[in-house]
Amino acid sequence: MVERISPLGEAFRPGTYGNLAEGPGVTLTEATPVTIAEAAAWPGSAVALSGAIETVTGLSLPAAPGAGVVGGGAVAFSIGPGRYLVAGAEGLSTKLQAAISLDMGTVTDLSHGRAALRIAGPRAEWVLSKLFALDFSPAAFPVGEGRATAHHDIFAQIQRTGGEQFDIYVFRSFARAFWQELCAAAEETGYEVR
Amino acid sequence: MSARRTSTGGLIDRSRTVRFTFDGKTYTGCAGDTLASALLANGITLVGRSFKYHRPRGVYTAGVDEPNALVTVFKDGVREPNIPATQIELYEGLEAESQNRFPSLDYDISALNQLAGPLFGAGFYYKTFMGPVVGPIKGTRFWMVCEHFIRRAAGLGRAGYDKDPVRYERMNAFCDVLVLGAGPAGLMAAEAAAKGGRRVILAEQEPRAGGAANWSGETIDGKPAAGWAKTMAERLAAMDNVRLLTRTTVWGYYDGNNLAALERVGDHLAARPPGAPRHRHWSIRAEKVVLATGAFERPIVFPGNDRPGVMLAGAAERYANQFGVVPGEKVAVFTNNDSAYRAAAALKKAGGAVIAIIDVRPEISAAARGLAEEAGVVPLLGHAVVGTAGKRLTKIMVQRFDAATGRLSGDVRPVEADCLAVSGGWSPAIHLASQAGRNPAWDGRLNAFLPPEPTQEWTGAGAFTGAMTTAEALSTGRDAGLAAASKKASRAKLPEVAAPALEVNPAPVFEIKADGKAFVDLQNDVTADDVRLAHREGFVSVEHLKRYTTLGMATDQGKTSNVPGLAIMADARGLPIPDVGTTRFRPPFSPVSIGSLAAEKHQHFKPDRLTPIHDWHVERGARMMEVGLWHRPMIYGDPGETVEQAYIREAAAVRASVGIVDVSTLGKIAVKGPDAAEFLDRVYTNMFSTLAVGKARYGLMLREDGIAFDDGTTWRLGEHDFLMTTTTANAGNVMQHLEYFLDVVWPDLRVHLTSVTDQWAGAAVGGPNARKMLEACVTRSKVDNETLPFMGIVHGEIAGAPVMICRLSFSGELAYEVYCGAGHGTHVWEALMEAGEPFGITPYGMEALGTLRIEKGHVTGAEIDGRTTARDLYLDWMLSKKKPFIGSALMDREGLIDKNRIRLVGVVSLDGQPLGGGAHIVEKGSLEDLGESIGHITAFCYSPALSKYIGLALVKGGKARHGTRAFVSDALRKRFGPVEIVSHHFFDPEGSRMHG
Repeated sequence: MVERISPLGEAFRPGTYGNLAEGPGVTLTEATPVTIAEAAAWPGSAVALSGAIETVTGLSLPAAPGAGVVGGGAVAFSIGPGRYLVAGAEGLSTKLQAAISLDMGTVTDLSHGRAALRIAGPRAEWVLSKLFALDFSPAAFPVGEGRATAHHDIFAQIQRTGGEQFDIYVFRSFARAFWQELCAAAEETGYEVR
Repeated sequence: MSARRTSTGGLIDRSRTVRFTFDGKTYTGCAGDTLASALLANGITLVGRSFKYHRPRGVYTAGVDEPNALVTVFKDGVREPNIPATQIELYEGLEAESQNRFPSLDYDISALNQLAGPLFGAGFYYKTFMGPVVGPIKGTRFWMVCEHFIRRAAGLGRAGYDKDPVRYERMNAFCDVLVLGAGPAGLMAAEAAAKGGRRVILAEQEPRAGGAANWSGETIDGKPAAGWAKTMAERLAAMDNVRLLTRTTVWGYYDGNNLAALERVGDHLAARPPGAPRHRHWSIRAEKVVLATGAFERPIVFPGNDRPGVMLAGAAERYANQFGVVPGEKVAVFTNNDSAYRAAAALKKAGGAVIAIIDVRPEISAAARGLAEEAGVVPLLGHAVVGTAGKRLTKIMVQRFDAATGRLSGDVRPVEADCLAVSGGWSPAIHLASQAGRNPAWDGRLNAFLPPEPTQEWTGAGAFTGAMTTAEALSTGRDAGLAAASKKASRAKLPEVAAPALEVNPAPVFEIKADGKAFVDLQNDVTADDVRLAHREGFVSVEHLKRYTTLGMATDQGKTSNVPGLAIMADARGLPIPDVGTTRFRPPFSPVSIGSLAAEKHQHFKPDRLTPIHDWHVERGARMMEVGLWHRPMIYGDPGETVEQAYIREAAAVRASVGIVDVSTLGKIAVKGPDAAEFLDRVYTNMFSTLAVGKARYGLMLREDGIAFDDGTTWRLGEHDFLMTTTTANAGNVMQHLEYFLDVVWPDLRVHLTSVTDQWAGAAVGGPNARKMLEACVTRSKVDNETLPFMGIVHGEIAGAPVMICRLSFSGELAYEVYCGAGHGTHVWEALMEAGEPFGITPYGMEALGTLRIEKGHVTGAEIDGRTTARDLYLDWMLSKKKPFIGSALMDREGLIDKNRIRLVGVVSLDGQPLGGGAHIVEKGSLEDLGESIGHITAFCYSPALSKYIGLALVKGGKARHGTRAFVSDALRKRFGPVEIVSHHFFDPEGSRMHG
C-alpha cells in the first residue's frame, strides 16, 4: 500500500513555540483519519441514511442540526441538512457505499481531499475563537457535535472530539496555509506541535 | 512648581518607580500612573497647543473624555499621534511628545494666531479662501492652493509613514449578558446575572474595575469604595461564568446585539510577551446588554476657561484620590452643583490648599456646606468666574452672578489660583444607547439627556440612567443584573454606602457671558461666540452647527462640549434645550486602531492554495505564479534561460517527445444520483445522458442569459456517478451555479454535488511518446488505443497507487490525464517522471501549457470572458437542438447573433515581433493614429511549432476575415505592426496527432 503524504510538508515542525510562560496552551497535531467520506441523504431519507451509518460504524446520530458522535473507531457529524462527514478506518467508504443504496443517498470518498488538523488543550476554545465566529463553549458546542463554517476562503468542518479537543477538516490544498494560521493564532497561548 | 505628588494615598505604587520621557526629557512616575497623572506629579501643567489658535493647554480631564492633552507616543518604531495622556498607562521607557507646536511647547510661533483671534471665527477659512479671485486662481482652485498651508498650521498630531510591525488580533465571543462598565453599578449587575446562572462578560475601559469607586472617597460596606470594588472584581473574575475584560472599550453597538470592543492588550507593557497582540478587536454577541457606562462631567463655559490649570472638578478629585496628585498649590473650585464640593474636600485632604469655592447658586445643601467646611473655605455663593490669567493659570477673576438671569454685577475680584476645578453638572454616557435606541430624552432637573428608549435588548444601570448616587448605582445595577438572570435569583442584600447626601441636580447655568474667548469645544477651538455666529448666519440646526463650527468633532467627539454647545445655541434661539435637538452618537465611542479592524495578517485573507505536487515543483526550481489562490509552476527554467526561452523549450519538447504538467488545480465536482445524467443535460449545452460509462466528453455551459460560462470535460464513472471538471479559475462559481439550480430551480432532481478538487492529484502527460511512457509504468490496465481510445477512461495502478486515466488532450498531442489520490500525487508524479526518462520527459509550466493550447486554438477564460457566446467562439456545434439547457432560451437574442460581433480568430505577427494581450486589431492606422478597433488579442505566444509569434483574437466578422491583413495596435506598449488573420486552429487542425 502506498502511503498518503501529508499536505503540511515542512510547515509541520514538532516542538514548542510562542509564549510558553505557562506552558503550551494548546497542542497542534495532524489527525487526518485513514478514511474520510461524505454521506448525503435525499430529502426524506436522512433517518434511513443515519441508520446505515450506524450499521457500518456503530455510531448513532441524533437527528438534529450539528449532531455528531465520536466513537472508538469512527466519528461522524452533520455538515448540512442530511449530510454527514464520516471518518474512520480503511475500507469505511466502501462499506458505506454498500450500505447506502441509491434510493437513500450517495457516498463520496474524500480521504485524500480533506485534512484534519487537531487542536487540543485548555486554550483550544480561545485560539479557535480568534478564527471563527462560533460559540465554542461546551454548552453551545458539546463533544461530538460538528459545525460547517469557513475562515475567509477556507471551508472548515469542525468536530469537538473531546472536552478540550477539536478536529478541523479543511480542503487538503489549504491545509498548509491553515496550519500556519493556527500556529500563528496559538502563539499567544504557546503551543506544542506533535 | 504647582502640581505635585502627595506623600500618601491613592492607588498608585510609590515603591515602583517608572521612567519615561516627555519631549525628550526624562521624568519618573509610579506604577499605576497615567501619563497625565505622572506629568502633573512632575509639575507639568502645559502639555499641548490648541488646534486652531495654538493656545497653551493642559490636562483637562482624567479619562477618555480628554480634549486637550493629546500626545504622540513612539513605540515599536512607529509614531502614533493624538493619544490622550489620560489614557496612557505609564510603563518603563514610555516615550511621548507634545503636538502642534513649533519650535517648542513653551514658545510656539503659531500662537500668534490668537492675536488675530476675532478673524478666525467659525467658517473663517471657507469664507476667506473659497470666494476671491486672485489673478488666474479663483474659487475652489484658490481654496485648494490655500488648503495645503491651512492644514499644516491647524491640526493635531502628525501621523507616521512607517509600517506598523505590531500584531493585532480579533476575537469572537458569545455571552448571555454583556455588562458595560465595571463601576459600582456594573459590578452589581454582573454579579447578579452571574449568580443567576448566566454567562457574563464585564467590560471596563480602564485598567482597573471600580469606576468612580476608585476616586469617590466614599465607603461601601465599611470599606473604602475602591477596596470594595477590587474585592468584588476579583470575586467576579474567579467565577467560571464571568469574563472580566479590563482595558476594553466597547465602542460600537450593532444589529442583533452584536457589539464591537477594543482591548488594549499590550499598550501598557514595555515589552509584549511573544505572540501577544497589541490590540484585540472583540466581536461580542450578547443576548442581553446592561449599560452601566456612568456619566461625564461637563465644564462651564467662561472666558479663559482653557488655560492650563483649569480642569474638571471630578478630574481633580480623581487625581487626588486615585493617583495621589494634587493638581495645584492653590486650588479654586467653580461649580453649579454639589459634586465639586466633594472634590474640594478631597483636594484639601490630599494636602492641597483650597483657596475658594465659587458657586453660581444662591443656596446650597447642608451636605455641600459640610464638605466646604472640610475643605476649609466658605463658599462664595451667587458668584461666577469671569476670566483667568497666566500662560499657566495664576489668577481667576470673580464677579457676582445671578443664576436666574445670567447677569453679572459688581466689581471683578481677582483670586490667585494655579488650579481651577470646574463642574457644570453631569451627563449620562448614553453614546452606546444612542446607537441602539431612539432619541435621548432631556431631563430638566439633571439638565442632561437621559438614555433613549431601546431598540435592542439592553437595560441600563447607575449614573447612565441618571441615578447619580452610589447607593442608587448599587441598587439599579443589582436590579438590571437580576432582570437579565435566567432563574429567579434571590435579591442579594445591597451593600451599605456611607456618602454625603449631596444634591444631584445642578443649576441650569452653562455659560458665563463676559469678555474674552470662552471655549465650548477645547479640542476644536470652538468658542461660545462661534456658536452664536453660526446662529446669526443661519446654521441653527444642531447638525449644521456641528459641521459649520466643527463643534463635537475629532478624537474626543465632543464628550465635554456637546451639551454646553447645545445650551448656548438654545439660548441664542430663545428655545428650551430639548427643542433644539441633539446629535446622536455613532460608532466608535472612542478612537479605534485601524490595525485592530484589519486584525489579521494580510496573507490570511488570501491563503496559499497548494497542489499535492507543490514541493516537487519548488525543489525542481520551478518559477511559481499565482493563479487565483493557487500556486502553479510558470516555467521550469534552466540556468540563464529567459521565460520565453524556457516555455519554447518546454512546449517544443511536448511536441517532439513527451511532457508532463500538473493539472491538479482543475475544478472537480462529483455529480451523483439517479438524476445526475438528466441534470448534466440541463446544465451543459450538449448531451451527457448518452455518454457511455467509462467515457468522457467535453462540455460547455452557458449562463442563463446565453453567454458562455465555463467549459471542461465530464467523465462518466458509473451510471449515476459523474466527475465534472471545470476551469481552475471558475471552479467555485460553477459549484455555486449548480447548487443554486439544484436547491432553487430543480429541487425535485436527486443529485448531490461534492467538491472533489482536492481529492485528486492530476498530471497531464502529452506528446508522441506519451502512450509508450504510460505503458512502461501503468499496471492492472492496458493503455493501448483499443483499451483506451480518445476520451476513454481506464482504472489501473502506477507504482502501487490506484490511478484513473482519461485520454484527452489540451495540447493537441496524444495525451492522457492521470488522476490519483492527492496524497499519492508526488509518488505517482515521480513514477511518471521515471517512466518518461528514456523519452526525455519534460515537465512544463503554465506558459508552455498556454502556448500549446494557443497553437491548437483551444479556448480558456481569456476567451470565455463573460461577454462571448458559443457562436463567437465557434463552439455552436456544441449547442444541442434536441433539448433545452440553461441559456438556450436567451442565446439567440438579436444582439447575440449580430453579424458584427467579435468572434474567435488566429493572428500571426508578420513583422516577427511579439503580440500583446489586450492589444487592438485595426484595419489601418499608425503608432500615432491608432485607428478604429475591430477587435483585440486575448492570448499570444511564440509558437515553436510554427516558428512565429501568434495569438488568439476576437475580431469583428471572425472567420470571414481569414486570410486578410490587419494591424496590431498597442498604445500601451507602443507597438504597431502588421498581422495576418487566420483560423484559430493553427496547428494540426485535423487532430491527427491526438487521435493517433
